Amino acid sequence: MTDPLIALIAGILIIGFLSYIFWPNFGLSDKLKRWTQDTERVQIEDALKHLYDCEYRNISCTINSIAGNLSINADRAAKLVSRLEALGLLAIQGEVLQLTAQGRSYALRIIRVHRLWERYLADETSTKELDWHDIAEKQEHLFTPEQADKLAAQIGNPVYDPHGDPIPSSKGDLPTKKGKPLNEMLPGEFANIIHIEDEPPAIYSQILAQGLYPGMQIRVLEVSDKRIKFEANGEECVLSPIIAKNITVGIIQLEKQVEGKYKVLSSLKVGEKGTVLGIAKALRGQQRRRLMDLGIVPGTEIEAQLESLNRDPVAYKVRGAVIAIRKQQADRIYLESKESEKG
Amino acid sequence: MSNNALSNCADCPVHNLGNLKKLGVNMSNFDFAIALAGNPNTGKSTVFNYLTGLKQHTGNWPGKTVTRAEGGFEFNGKRFKLVDLPGTYSLLSTSTDEEIARDFILFGQPDVTVIVVDATRIERNLNLVIQILEITDRAIVCLNLMDEAKRNGIQIDDRILSKELGIPVIPTAARQGEGMTELTKMIFDVASGNFICKPHRIKSSSKELNAAIDVLIKEISAEFPNLPNTRWVALRLLEGDQSIIDAIRSGELGNIKGINTIEQSQLVIS
Amino acid sequence: MNNHNVNREAILAAANNLRWEVGENLHDTLMESIYENATAIARKAVIYPDKKPAFSFDRTLDKILTSKYFGFPLMLLILGAVFWVTIEGANIPSGLIASLLVDTLHPLLKNFTNSFMPWWLSGVLIDGAYLAMAWVVSVMLPPMAIFFPVYTLLEDFGYLPRVAFNMDPLYKKVGAHGKQALTMAMGFGCNAAGIVATRVIDSPREKLIAIITNNFSLCNGRWPTQILISTIFIGGIAPAYLTGLVSAAAVVFVAILGITFSLVVSWILSKTILRGEASAFSLELPPYRPPRILQTLYTSLIDRTIFVLWRAVIFAVPAGMVIWLAANITIDGVSIANHFINWANPFALIFGLNGVILLAYIIAIPANEIVIPTVLMLTVANLGLSSVGAGSGVMFELDSVADTASILHAGGWTLLTGINLMLFSLLHNPCSTTIYTIYKETKSVKWTLISTLLPIAMGFSVTFFVTQIWRLVVGS
Ligand SMILES: Nc1nc2c(ncn2[C@@H]2O[C@H](COP(=O)(O)OP(=O)(O)OP(=O)(O)O)[C@@H](O)[C@H]2O)c(=O)[nH]1
Ligand SMILES: [Mg+2]
Repeated sequence: MTDPLIALIAGILIIGFLSYIFWPNFGLSDKLKRWTQDTERVQIEDALKHLYDCEYRNISCTINSIAGNLSINADRAAKLVSRLEALGLLAIQGEVLQLTAQGRSYALRIIRVHRLWERYLADETSTKELDWHDIAEKQEHLFTPEQADKLAAQIGNPVYDPHGDPIPSSKGDLPTKKGKPLNEMLPGEFANIIHIEDEPPAIYSQILAQGLYPGMQIRVLEVSDKRIKFEANGEECVLSPIIAKNITVGIIQLEKQVEGKYKVLSSLKVGEKGTVLGIAKALRGQQRRRLMDLGIVPGTEIEAQLESLNRDPVAYKVRGAVIAIRKQQADRIYLESKESEKG
Repeated sequence: MSNNALSNCADCPVHNLGNLKKLGVNMSNFDFAIALAGNPNTGKSTVFNYLTGLKQHTGNWPGKTVTRAEGGFEFNGKRFKLVDLPGTYSLLSTSTDEEIARDFILFGQPDVTVIVVDATRIERNLNLVIQILEITDRAIVCLNLMDEAKRNGIQIDDRILSKELGIPVIPTAARQGEGMTELTKMIFDVASGNFICKPHRIKSSSKELNAAIDVLIKEISAEFPNLPNTRWVALRLLEGDQSIIDAIRSGELGNIKGINTIEQSQLVIS
Repeated sequence: MNNHNVNREAILAAANNLRWEVGENLHDTLMESIYENATAIARKAVIYPDKKPAFSFDRTLDKILTSKYFGFPLMLLILGAVFWVTIEGANIPSGLIASLLVDTLHPLLKNFTNSFMPWWLSGVLIDGAYLAMAWVVSVMLPPMAIFFPVYTLLEDFGYLPRVAFNMDPLYKKVGAHGKQALTMAMGFGCNAAGIVATRVIDSPREKLIAIITNNFSLCNGRWPTQILISTIFIGGIAPAYLTGLVSAAAVVFVAILGITFSLVVSWILSKTILRGEASAFSLELPPYRPPRILQTLYTSLIDRTIFVLWRAVIFAVPAGMVIWLAANITIDGVSIANHFINWANPFALIFGLNGVILLAYIIAIPANEIVIPTVLMLTVANLGLSSVGAGSGVMFELDSVADTASILHAGGWTLLTGINLMLFSLLHNPCSTTIYTIYKETKSVKWTLISTLLPIAMGFSVTFFVTQIWRLVVGS
């Protein structure tokens, strides 16, 4: 028999070596896989997405902006553009690059996969929010349209991604952009700039001078006949209504800023009662549906009854049943603040 | 209500449990298919075992049954196939056990759906009852665990409940076998059309939702005029339910036919 | 028809457009409406008692069973008690059944069949198939007839959800779902049942984790091995009056080790191939219900025990034939079994096991229940011990633990072999039924393979390190 010490060391070395090769994501085999991935396809698809994005936001797209977006040099970007044109995905009109119908539907397919994946990750997987985009960015190049349809079916054919962007249907339909002129907004509302009219040039340049661009998030502070005051990227801007009319915005329903103001369920001590006010939007998909199925809807009376180790999970009495919920969820269930009482 | 149920069945043979024959797994040539649905841990499998004489596992925790089980019994000369479904809190979410239950109630088209309800948690259970009543007209509430409700001092007026829901409500304690005769009778009556239900439908106060549903109902009933639960199909479409989408695409939805549409039903419940 | 298709697609398109319009709050609105309806109906039909009773049995019991200080110790105590009752209670009936089926019936059958069958046929049928079956019945029946009823009583009482409630903080830490505790508990009965029970877990990621780790809960097919080996090798060290307790403690230790492994593996999985954080968990704690003892006894005996036993017998019969054939067909004067054993021995020794054990685990892939009979039979055949049993390939009478012990000791087994066998019995591939169930539940070859190969890789690593460290510390 071999010396046990030598055997031990050999054993540890073998395990270390195997994990060096096969450890997911960091292991050699996964790295190798990544190196050999089809970079050209990825670049083509990323470029198409960028072009579509420009089109959707109504700004013009150039070779330079592609280079910037994909972080490649201008030379490569130029080559990429001519490749796209050769594939019939792109039409070049002077400086301006325009998607062909075929290119647009290709782009929409990629976007569909991307947004579906974000929805899936958000609803079904408990992946960290920060990781959604990166994972979706990878998957969008790997998924076929059929796989995308299957994923969609599995998660209930969602129509919005977790950021509120619409998911293109499998036929490439998107809802017509909804929005209204900036001057019709009310104070306190949040919105996204979705479109800036570039005619007449005089007004357009005034808007640009303010540093406004589509996709920017704004919050309206004050509206009157004479001026509209709003906050954009932390800076205050003032525009006259005539100019503001040329900016189209989409209202965003920011989640009620409830933190701090309202009690959360997890703050109930054993024996205390409360009335449910609502469930935070951050609880999505199945988690949210489950809670509602169990009867946690606005107006439900709820009482903390049992605590596990470290108060997580806690069992609550809800509509006659005792239901254990983790703190993570209980933190996101809001209670009416005044009505809490000792039970 | 019970008076009416009886008078409806004046020409039936005398009811007693002696007429019940447990058939075990023998389900050949059944006349009616009966589904057992309900929240988890309400005693569905206990009712199932009682009626069929089988030994489906029961256990005091939610989620004991995860696959569907079938068995048979005979009552008043009719043969019934009984299907024990996994317990679900809702039919609107998208998990495996719920799909089994939902698909069976919708596409399996049982002649009667017996909804086993926990008498000590009525509100939560009614959530499911209301959802099932959107799908099917022929349902019975089996108000189970009455012994526990009594012990906890909860009083339930099953007549009012029945009137509100528009379907029969039978108080039972399945473990002790109480109320099983009445339940079997009622299954017989509803299955053979002696008792006609007029089920409660969801009243929503959301204008937006109602408007969207109305649009869809119009479209759906143009294509599938015989569908008994158009409203529910519309709701599911709005939630993107894939099996409904598939059923529309393939036309399978057209196979679902209502037997007691509301127009035909006379008000039976006093 | 074509017209229909157009109409149908139009419905779907209309629905899609409306969905963009009504937005994401649809489900919330709907559920709120339904609950409004439900509340209104309940208000009319139900009268709740004005005052809550001052004392509630359920609440008080819950406070104790889930308390910070008593929750876990009580869980251990209950688990220990269940195993102890099983081990102590099964000992004598096992011996009785063995002496009836093996000592008495086997020679009778053998004589009877020998009178009209060729030697090899009666060998295959009686020394192979019949003895394997007799063995499985005597090892499995008594412990199961005790374990299943006791366990079902706990289940009916409503204790399992409390276990899940207590354990959830641990599962949360490793990125898994608290209901995994329920599926693990089902796994103590049978892993295939545990795998099916994972359907109660909503999140697909956490469901997969529960499926992959279910094998770490010691199923009933494996405790005969655990009980016997721990009685011989671990209980054997303790004074006689403590043997039962010490062996129960050893089995409980292995069971807990299994739970620990399941937690560690869950953690590794949620850091690597099943990356993610613990998601939601909601579990209804039902009221305690007094179990109906007689009915439970009846159902779990007649239904569960007989059912599981039947399955074991079905697998044991062909396995018994295979063993007999492997021990009796010779190449170059050495039986096939011995060829394999001798070939595998050096390799197995690195892991503190032996060729017999490896061969037994290959033969026992269909059902874990037959590991011990196979091990014993192969040991005898391998040693050519002619004084015990009736020759090659015969699974012989083991009505007393001492007999078994002497055979194993004769086969060169040490305390280390015993410990490693217990570990390997915990950590090896799931049985074929479980593998098939995993495939049916996941519908994926990849996850089935992972669930199958991961535990066995772990089994070899763990026994390897235990062996080498043991040799380093204790010397061999
Ligand atoms: N006291 C009392 N207990 C009952 C009654 N009916 C069922 N039980 C008990 O309630 C528990 C749950 O019963 P099951 O029949 O398993 O419930 P189920 O609805 O099939 O549950 P799932 O399969 O999990 O959906 C068991 O412990 C039964 O013994 C009853 O009428 N009274
Ligand atoms: Mg059940």
